[in-house]
Amino acid sequence: MDLSPREAEDALAVVQMMMDKTRRAISNTGAYIFLIIWGFVWLFGFSANHFLTGETVGYSWMVLDILGGALSVVMGIRLGKKFRRTSINKTGKNIGYFWLLLFVYCGLLLLVVNPVDMKTGAMIIVLFVMIGWIAMGLLLSTTSIWWGLAITALALVGYYLLPGIFYLWMAALGGGGMIALGFYIRSRW
Amino acid sequence: MTGLNEIIHQPVRLRIMAVLVTLKEDDAVDFTYLRDLLEVTDGNLGAHLRKLEESNYISINKEFVDRKPRSFISATLEGRRVFKEHVSALESILKNQGGGS
Repeated sequence: MDLSPREAEDALAVVQMMMDKTRRAISNTGAYIFLIIWGFVWLFGFSANHFLTGETVGYSWMVLDILGGALSVVMGIRLGKKFRRTSINKTGKNIGYFWLLLFVYCGLLLLVVNPVDMKTGAMIIVLFVMIGWIAMGLLLSTTSIWWGLAITALALVGYYLLPGIFYLWMAALGGGGMIALGFYIRSRW
Repeated sequence: MTGLNEIIHQPVRLRIMAVLVTLKEDDAVDFTYLRDLLEVTDGNLGAHLRKLEESNYISINKEFVDRKPRSFISATLEGRRVFKEHVSALESILKNQGGGS
C-alpha cells in the first residue's frame, strides 16, 4: 500500500479531527455538567441567604436542591446510556454511597453542634462538600483537587474576614467557581 | 510501507478507529452514539464495523439496557496496536518527505 505525503497528511488530519471531536463529545456528556448544575444551585442558594429572610431561604434551598438533584439524575442516566465504562461502573456505586454517607454525617454533625448562626451551618456544609470534592479528585482527577482546596480557602476567608458578605462571597466564588471549573473542564477537551 | 493497514485506512474505518482508541481501554461506546458522532447511516456503519470485527480490531457486545437491545463497541488491544502502527507509518511518510526536500 503506497500513499503520497499529501494523502498521509490528509489521513492524519482526519484522525486528529475525530480524536478531538470524540474528546469534546465525551466532555459534553461528562462530569462538567454536574459542576455547572450545582454551581448554579450554590449561586442562587447563597444569594437567597443574602437577599431573602425567614422561611423563604429554607424553601429556596429546598427547591434548588430538588431541581439540582433531578437534573443530576437525568444527566447521569443520559450519560450511562451513551457509554459503557467498566472502570466507572465498578466504582460508581461506591461513589454514590460515599456521597450519601457524607451528607448523612454532615447532617449528624449539624444536629450535634446545632449552630445558632446560619453562616456556621452553611460553612460546615461547604467544608463537607469540599471534603467530598477532594476525595473525588484523589480518585478520578488529581487536578481538580487544587480547585477544591482553593474554594475551601476562599470560603474560610469569607467566613472569618468578610462575615457581612459571606453569602454573597460564597454565591460568587463558590457557585461561580464551580460553574467556571465546569466550563474550564469542557473547554480543556 | 510497513505499518500501513489497508483495512484501517478506508476513510470511515479510519474515523471509527480514531474514535474508539480515544476511549479508555475498558470503555465502550453505544452504536447510535458512534453513528451520530461519525455522521454515517446505520447500514454504512454496520458494514464497516463488521469488517473491523472480522479483523479482530474491535469487539461488539450486545446488551439490554432498559429492556432494549444495545450494541457497545470498543477497540481491542490488537486494534489499538495496529491503529498506532498505521498512524506511525503515516507520520513517517511525512517525515521522510520533509527529510528528502
